[in-house]
Amino acid sequence: MNKNNKEHRLREVKCPTGFNWSNLKAELKAVWESNIKDWKIDFAYPVSFIRQLISPLVFLLPFLIYGLALVGGRYSPNLKQLVGTDDVVAFIFTGYIMMGFIGTAVWAMGFSIRRERWFGTLEAIYVTPSSRLGQVLGMALHSTVHQILGTIIQFIVIYLTFGLALKIEGILPALGIFALMMLALYGFGIVISALGLILKEGWVVSDSLYSIMMILSPVAYPLAVLPTVAQQASYLFPTAPALIGMRSFLIENYQPEVVGNVFLHLLALGAAWILFGIVVFRVTDVYVRKRGMLKKF
Amino acid sequence: MLKSSYQQSVLRSNLFVVWNELVKNIKSLLAYPAILVFWAVFPIFWFIPFILQGQAFVGGLESASFAQITGSGEYVPFIVIGAVLNSYVNTLLYGMGENIRREAYQGTLDYVLAAPCNKAYVLIGKALSESLSSTIFAASQLTISVLLFGMNLTLGVMLPVFFIVILLMLGLYGMSLILAALSLMYKQSYDLSQTIGYVFYIFAPVRYPVESLPTWAQIFGKLIPLTYALIIVRSFMLLGTNFSAVYFEVLALLIIDIVLLLAGFYLFSWMEEKTKKSGTISHH
Amino acid sequence: MVYDKESGVFSIQTINLTKRFAKKKHRGVFGFLRRNQSNNKHNDVTVALDKVNIKIHSGELFGLLGPNGSGKTTTIKCLSTILIPDEGTAIVNGFDISKETSMVRASLGMVVGGERTLYWKLTARDNLMYFASLYKMQRRHAKKRIEELLETMQLSDRADERLEDYSTGMRQKVAIARALLHDPPILLLDEPTLGLDPNFARQIRNQIKELSEKQGKTVLLTTHYMDEADQLCDRVAFINNGKIVAVDTPNRLKAMVKEKELVEVVVYRPPAGIEKHIRSLLPDAEVIKLIPGDEDEGNPSRIKIIGGTAEEHVGTIIDALRQKNVRIGSLNVGVPTLEDVFIKLTGAKLTEDGI
Repeated sequence: MNKNNKEHRLREVKCPTGFNWSNLKAELKAVWESNIKDWKIDFAYPVSFIRQLISPLVFLLPFLIYGLALVGGRYSPNLKQLVGTDDVVAFIFTGYIMMGFIGTAVWAMGFSIRRERWFGTLEAIYVTPSSRLGQVLGMALHSTVHQILGTIIQFIVIYLTFGLALKIEGILPALGIFALMMLALYGFGIVISALGLILKEGWVVSDSLYSIMMILSPVAYPLAVLPTVAQQASYLFPTAPALIGMRSFLIENYQPEVVGNVFLHLLALGAAWILFGIVVFRVTDVYVRKRGMLKKF
Repeated sequence: MLKSSYQQSVLRSNLFVVWNELVKNIKSLLAYPAILVFWAVFPIFWFIPFILQGQAFVGGLESASFAQITGSGEYVPFIVIGAVLNSYVNTLLYGMGENIRREAYQGTLDYVLAAPCNKAYVLIGKALSESLSSTIFAASQLTISVLLFGMNLTLGVMLPVFFIVILLMLGLYGMSLILAALSLMYKQSYDLSQTIGYVFYIFAPVRYPVESLPTWAQIFGKLIPLTYALIIVRSFMLLGTNFSAVYFEVLALLIIDIVLLLAGFYLFSWMEEKTKKSGTISHH
Repeated sequence: MVYDKESGVFSIQTINLTKRFAKKKHRGVFGFLRRNQSNNKHNDVTVALDKVNIKIHSGELFGLLGPNGSGKTTTIKCLSTILIPDEGTAIVNGFDISKETSMVRASLGMVVGGERTLYWKLTARDNLMYFASLYKMQRRHAKKRIEELLETMQLSDRADERLEDYSTGMRQKVAIARALLHDPPILLLDEPTLGLDPNFARQIRNQIKELSEKQGKTVLLTTHYMDEADQLCDRVAFINNGKIVAVDTPNRLKAMVKEKELVEVVVYRPPAGIEKHIRSLLPDAEVIKLIPGDEDEGNPSRIKIIGGTAEEHVGTIIDALRQKNVRIGSLNVGVPTLEDVFIKLTGAKLTEDGI
C-alpha cells in the first residue's frame, strides 16, 4: 500500500481489526446479535417455530414404533448380542437426539448464507467490516439452542410414554463428548454454508449429506451392521465416535464398538473440520466475489 | 352433452389452460436437472436406516412380530412400499402448495388469478404436472429398490397397484386444494404442508403396521387416504391377494377421496374470493 | 459547503479498474449434446468496467450517470468490496480495496435502490441494532445513534413496527439510516430513488444534499435520472459500456452542447426509418436520435437533432416530417440537458440498455 495514502487519509475510522481482544469482542457480539436476529425472525413465523420444535419428536417416533413393532416388545436379544444392551428405546433415543444436531450443521448452518441471499440482505451484510463467518456461527448458535429445546421435548415425551433408563453419572462426560462433537459439526457446517453460495440447488447437497451421515452414524443401529468400508468412512464424521462414546456413558451394560480414546478422536476431528471449513469458506468467498455471484439464486 | 360451439370452444380453451400449466411446470422442473436426479434416487437413502435397524434388531430379513400383525414377516419390502408411496405424498402434497408459493414469490400469482380463465383448470394443470413427476420419481425409486434389495415384483400386480395409486392421488389432490386454499390466506403454506406431512408420517403405516399404534392413533390413521392405499398395495404385493380381500379399504379410500376433493374445490373458491377482497393475494 | 478540491486529497480513487463477466448461454437440458456454435472468445465475455479512472474529492457529491448495464452498479460493488476487480484497484479513504477490505467497509455506507435489503419481519429499530453490531459499534453508542437517525428520518413513531408494514419510501429511509449508523465519511448510493414516488424521491434527494453540504460526507451517487444528477452533483461522470466518457461539472458538460446546436421535436407515431430520412436531408447533423415514447401513457416520442446548424434547418426538419405524414406536437430550440450531452458523446440514450 502506498504510504502517501496513509498520510492523506481524510477521516480516521474507528473500527477494531486484527488479532486483539477488542476485535474478538466485537466479532463475538456480531455472532450473538445474528443469533438474536434469527430468533426474532423465528418468532415472526409462529407456526414454523412450533413445527420446528416438535419435528425432532416427529422423526424419532417412527424409529421407535418401528423398532418395537419389529421386535414385538422393548427388548431385542439380537441387539444385546451386538452391543451388550437389549433396550431398544434407550438405544434409539440416545442415537436419535444426535440427528437434530447434524441438522444444525447441514441445514441451519448450510443454509445460513443462502437464507440471507433469499432475504436480500446478503450484500448489505458483506459490506460491513464484520466477518462473514459470524453469520454462519450466529445461525449455528441459534440452531443449537433450538435443537436443545427440541431434545428436551423429546426427552419428556419419551420418558413419560416409554420410560427411560439412563445413567445419571454419565451425563457430564456425555455432555463433554457432545460439546466436542458440536465443534467438529460446526466445521462441517461452515463447509456446507460455503458450498451453498456457489451451488444453485444447495438444498440438494444438504439433504444428500444429511442422508449419508444418517446412514453412516449409528443412530438406529450399531455400526457392526454396516459394511466394513462404510464403518471406516463413518469415523471421518464426528457423529459415529460421539454416539458410541455417549452411549457408553449413558446406557447400562453398553459395550462400545470402538477401541480408543473418543475424546482425542473428537478433538482431532474438530480441529480438522474447523480448519478445513475456514479454508473452504475463504476460498469460496473470493470465488463468489470475483464472479459477482452474491445476488444470484 | 355440449350444446353449442361456444361451449365446445370454452372447453377447448380450458383444456389449453391445463396443457400450458402442465408444460410450464415440467419445463421449470427440467431447468433443475440436479433436482430431477435427487428425487429419482435419494428418497431411498431415507429408508435405508430402517432396513439396517431391522437387521440389527431381528438379526435377519424377517420379523416374526411383523408376520403376526400383517401376515408377512418381510420387513424390507414393507418399508420399500411405504417409502415409495410416501414419497408420492411428499412430492404431490408439498408440490402444490410450494407451486403456489413460488408463483407468489416470483410475482406471477396476481396475474394468474386476474386472468379470466377458470382457476380450477390452472390447479388441475398444476396437479397433473406434480402427478406426472411424482409417478416418474416413484417408478425410479421402486426400480432401484427392487434391484438393490432383491424384491420380487410380479407385473400382474402392477395394474391394480397403479389403480390404487390413482385413487390415492385423487385424495391427495383434494388435500392439495385445501392446502392451496389455506396458503392463499395464511402465508406459511410450507409449514402447513409439512405439518400435514408429519401427521401422515406418524399415523399412516409408512414404516410400521397401523396396528402397532395405540387405539386412538389407529382411529386417526384410518382417516388418512395413505393408510388405505398402503394396506391395499401391501396386500397385493406381499400377500398376493386381490380386490375381494380389500374391498372395504378400497371403498373407504373412495369415500375419503370424494370428501377431500369436494372440500378442496369449495374451500379454494371461497378463499380466492376472500383474499381478492382483502388484497392479500400475493403477500409472502 | 464547497468540497475540498484544492487539497488534492481524494476520498475515492479508482486506478484502471476493470471487471469482466463470462456470458452464460442457456442451451437447454440437452444443450451439452449440441456443438458450440461460436468459437469467438470475445463474444463469451462482457466487459463491465474497462480501465475506469475516477478521482473523487473529499466532501464532493459525485454523480455516475449512465444507462442500465453501463457499469454503474459494478463500480459501486467493486468499491464496496462485494466484487473483486479483475485488473486495477481503488483507494477508498486511503485504504486499498483489495488489501484492507475491513477498513474500506468501515469507511463507507451503502444504499441500494429498489430492492429488498432489510429484514421485513423485524422492526426498524431491530434492523438498525443488528447492523450496528456488524459495524462493530458499542451497544450504548449504537442505541443513541439509532434514536438520532430515526428522529432525522421521521420514523421514531413507527420504529417498533415491522418493515413489512412500511411503504417503499419508508424502507428506503431505514436503508439510508443503516448506511449512516457508523457515521462513515463516504456514502455509496446506487440509484437510491429508484421506484420511489416523487414525494419520497424529493425527500431522499434533499437528505443526500444535506449529507454532502452540511456533514461534509463524500457521496458517490449512481443514477440514470439526469435531473437528479443535474440537481445534486458537484461533478458528473458519464459511463457507457464500462468506460468513462466524460467528467466535469453539470454546467460545463451541458456547455458541450451549445444552445443553438439542439433542436427537439415532439412527434406522434413516427414511422420506422424516420431518422434515416432526416439524415438524408441533413447530412451535417452530428446526432439525429429518435427517443420512442409511450403515447398511451401520454408520453409522446421525441426526435433530437444536434449539430452546428440545426437551428438554421428547422424548416427542413419540419418538411421532412411532413413528407412522412408525421404529426408534430411541438418544436424547441436550445436548452440542452445532460441527456443531450450523453447522446452527443455516446449516441446512446440514458434510459436505453447500453449499446
